[in-house]
This record gives sequence, C-alpha cells and structure tokens, in this order.
Amino acid sequence: MTAVTSGPIVAAPATCKRPIGLLLVAIPVLMVIWLVIWPIISAVITTLWVKTPEGSAFSIETYRFFFSDGYSLSNLSMTLWTTGVCAILLLIVCLPIALYLRFSTSRVSAYVQGLAIFPMFVPSIILSFAFIRVLGPNGTVDLLLNAVNLPKIRTPYLTPRGPVIGPVWDNIPLTVLILLSGLGAVSNQSIEAARDVGAGRFAVLWHIILPRISNSILVAISFAVLGIFSAFTLPYVLGPAAPEMMGPFMQRTFHELFEPRTAITCAVVTFGFCIVFGLFYVRSVAKNRTT
Amino acid sequence: MSPRCSARRAPWISFSLDVADGELVCLLGPSGSGKSTLLRMVGGFEQPSSGLITIDGQEITHLLPEKRPTGMVFQSHALWTHMNVFKNLAFGLKLRRLPADEIKRRVEGVLELVGLGGYGTRSVTQLSGGQQQRVALARSLVLEPKILLLDEPFASLDQHLRERLREEVRDIQQRLKITTLFVTHGQDEALSMADRVVVMRDGKIEQADRPDVVYREPRTPFVAGFIGTMNLLEGSVSNGVFNRAGFSFPLPVADGPAILAIRPEALDLTAVTENGRAKVHRVTDYGTHGLVDLELPDATRLKASVAHPDLFTTGQSVALTPRAVAAYRDHALIHRS
Repeated sequence: MTAVTSGPIVAAPATCKRPIGLLLVAIPVLMVIWLVIWPIISAVITTLWVKTPEGSAFSIETYRFFFSDGYSLSNLSMTLWTTGVCAILLLIVCLPIALYLRFSTSRVSAYVQGLAIFPMFVPSIILSFAFIRVLGPNGTVDLLLNAVNLPKIRTPYLTPRGPVIGPVWDNIPLTVLILLSGLGAVSNQSIEAARDVGAGRFAVLWHIILPRISNSILVAISFAVLGIFSAFTLPYVLGPAAPEMMGPFMQRTFHELFEPRTAITCAVVTFGFCIVFGLFYVRSVAKNRTT
Repeated sequence: MSPRCSARRAPWISFSLDVADGELVCLLGPSGSGKSTLLRMVGGFEQPSSGLITIDGQEITHLLPEKRPTGMVFQSHALWTHMNVFKNLAFGLKLRRLPADEIKRRVEGVLELVGLGGYGTRSVTQLSGGQQQRVALARSLVLEPKILLLDEPFASLDQHLRERLREEVRDIQQRLKITTLFVTHGQDEALSMADRVVVMRDGKIEQADRPDVVYREPRTPFVAGFIGTMNLLEGSVSNGVFNRAGFSFPLPVADGPAILAIRPEALDLTAVTENGRAKVHRVTDYGTHGLVDLELPDATRLKASVAHPDLFTTGQSVALTPRAVAAYRDHALIHRS
C-alpha cells in the first residue's frame, strides 16, 4: 500500500548544499592565496618599504630607478615588442588553422589538428636547442643551402628577433584550442544563413565569425601575452644578451648582480603589465557567465 | 528541377519537379527521405552530381548560395546573436549596397508584415522562439527572393505556436505570392498549408498532388500509410474476394496478393451478439468523435472512427463494413471504390 501525505511539498533550501561547495573550493583558493596572492603582496611591500637605520620608510626609489634606467627600459620595451609581435603572429598563424579545423570535413584535418597540438608535448629547452640546430649557425638550413651552393642565412638567434619564433611555436596549441572552442559556438546554419543573404567568404568571416569569437580571441591573446611576457627558457636560450626580456633580466639581476630588490621590482612591473591582460581574461569569463 | 545527388547526405536522390509561380509546395516524408537535402540543393548548400535546377528559366545548379535568388529559413532560426533584429534584417541589404534610407524602409516594412513592428532595436536573444522564427522569415523576405525555402521552420516550436505561425506564414505567402518550397515531416502542416504536397521516400517522389488528393487517393501503399491514419491489411484475392484472417471483402481484381487500405472514418461498425469479424480492444472518446481499436482473429489491429463511441465496449463483437477502400499490388494502386 502506498501512503500519500497531504500538504504542500517544499523544496529543500539551496543553502544546504553550499558548505560542501565552499569546502571543495577552499583548498585551491587557500593555495592561490598562499602561493600567488601573498607573494605578490609581499613583493609590493618589499619594494615600497625600505629599511633605514631609523626603521622602515615608504619609498618609490626602486621604481624611480627602474623607469629612469635606460637598460631596464630597453629590456621592458624589448619584452613588450616581442610579446606584441608574438601575439600578432600567433593570431595570424592560429586563426586560419582553427578555421580550417572547424569547417573542414576532410580526413586531413585530423592530422593537421595533431600537428597543431604537437608543440604542447615538447619541453621548452628541447624546443630551444632544436631551433638552434635548425636555424642557428651551421644548422640544418645552412647545410641545405650550402649543399646547393647558396650563401648561409643570418641566424636570428642572439638578436631581438631570436625569441619570437620559439614562443609563437610553443603557444600554437593553446591558442588553436581556445579559438577552436570559440568557433564551436558558431553554428553551420548561422554561416549558411549569412551566405544565403549574399555574404561571400570574407564577409562571413568579418561580419559573422569574428564578432562571434571575439571573446575567444581576447582570451587566447591574454593567455599568450601572459605566458610570453614572463617567459624565461626560450628568451634565455634564444634571445640576445642585451637588451634582454624581463624573465632573463630578473634572473640575472637576482643571481649574478645579487640585487634582489631590483629583481623584485622587475617582477612587480612585469606583474603590473600581465594583470592588465589577466583582467581582460577575467572580464571575458564573467561576460560569458552572464550571457 | 531534376537533380541527381551524389552528396554523402543522400546519394539516392533522383527526381524531377516543376514548381509554378506563387505555388507553395510541401516536401513531406519521413526522416532520411532526402527532403532537406533537396531543399539545400536548391539553396546551393549541396551540389547535385547531375541534373539541372532552374529558376525562371535561368540555370542555377552550380551557382554559389550567395548568388542564388533564393531565401532560406532554417529550422534553428540561425539568427546572428551579436546583431539586433534590425541588423539581422539589414545585413543582406547592406551587402547589396542599398542606401541607408531604403534599407530602413524595407526592414521596417517587412517587420510590420511579420507582426514585429517596433522590435528593430531588440536583441534577438530577448525574443521568444516564435518571434525568433518570424525574424528569420523576415530576414529572408526582406531580400525579395524568387523562391522562399523553409526547412522545417516550426519544428522547434510548441504545438499551439506552430499552428498559429503556419497560418501566418500561409497568409504572408499568399499576400506576397512568393513561390515557396516547404520541408516538413508533419502531415498536418503539409495538408493545411500546401497548394501541392510532394510525398518523398528514399529520395524519390511517391506522389505529388493537391493535399486532398494525396489524402483521399494515395497512389502507393507508402503514401496511404504515411498520410493520416490508415488501416493497411495484407491479404490475398481469390475469385474477386479479398481475404485476411476471416475478414473478407469483394475486390474485383485479378487473383493474387493485395494490400487493402481503409481509412478509419470509412469503416462502419455494427454491434453483433456473436460471430463478429472483430472484437473491440479499446474505445477512446475524443469528444467530437471516438476511435475504436479493433482486433481481428489473427491479432491484426484496425482502427475505426465512430460518431458515438458510447455504443461500443471493450470485448464486444462487431461486424466490419468498409465504405471506401483502395487496393495495392506491387506498390501500385489496382483498385479504388
């Protein structure tokens, strides 16, 4: 026999489940606070509060030095230049690959996807030496040119252009995957509808596809910029000795010049630039959540 | 048009069809019959391997979709969510480089036509499913295409909205006298809207006729079974009499196998006390009429539509008297009475 009780059925309050969710995120949040947020705060405090014989005093002297020192500024501008060029090149390289992978129905696209993801599995240090062995002095390209009696190429390494190809190659997988996920939201029918009203391929790309994936482009660029701006291995191995990118500059200031405060100042300045793109990313995520 | 398709979607499509100016033709068929593929061929999204598609005598078989004088309304609306209603409609006109005031006049005119006057500044995501489908229709109409292609446009809408929209679409189509190809797998949609219904099966036309003809005079057993409710009895004819599990009916055709088709409304029932040809299995009262499920001695099920369902009860023996039948052999009509 089935008993049915009378009276309204009341849903259990949603707050009952909240503690479990909060507990689940508590550990990673605490780890982020401990390993990321606190070091940032500590670094800012270290650079702004100087120990004097009379005690601690507020000073922006280290920042004043950084932004008036020609070498520091040329390192910063080289980092900005390399990051900007890499971001543009990544977009130029990855967007056609992502478009091809999204809209191609041929079997070749599976192999192209495999190739595009491949750099993800190659460690930066191996990648750096591989590039040197191919494009560097007496590398594969030089040997091939020599075999057909052509002059050697001027190696890009140890010049400001040196670190560009490495980060671009290294960031292709992530950028392609982010763009591909954005393109996944563009339905075939919305593209067919555009073609139906008279849009050619370029008009479809410009008016339909790009506006729909603008968020993904922003996220991909933010990720690439965050990674490249603070990169160390590739600029260290492939880049010039002077000016140098912020990663190697920080490392050398700390380990070779024994100026931890100046190195921390470089890190805070780097963080300042990166957080701008970090905020772009957070804004995009928040925008996606609300739409 | 007479396309033959070698596309992966439906490699078996092969038929010819002429559509008159201002005619609304419904392509009706089960899933996989090739009706959407055919529509996409006319729109330019699929290429036939041979054959011709012509509009007003101009061959368009190999033209790109953007070059064809067709307008397509998709099942999923396919609106561009980053544009508001006005921009969705104006996009095609801007590509044609029309002056801004002309674009504004045409967009506002067609929005009035579909009952969305004043909705231009709304985001398409703020609209209901029915309103979104009207915007999709308006987007096609604003370009004044020679042929309007509708690919199951009401499939994602609820029943009530679907009925209202199909009346509106029919009204607009008749007002504009625009030639329309409409793909659907809903019989009621096809029968209520179309000037002509094309019943498709496996990429071929089974029958192309006026809706009432398709319903009353189906030419093949497939059409008979697909359109409306139909009792299909497989049996054999011997000496001018059709026989199946004790059910016999005079059928003046040559001896051999046959399929007898009887509409529920053409099957009269008479209550008998014993030796009935069938037993009542279930009676459903729809208010306006009743539907009696019957069972023949070999467990074959039949349906009969009755005016007074209260006269019949489950388990009752009844005699069957068909008033109109059609008989088929080898997928062809051999007799109608």
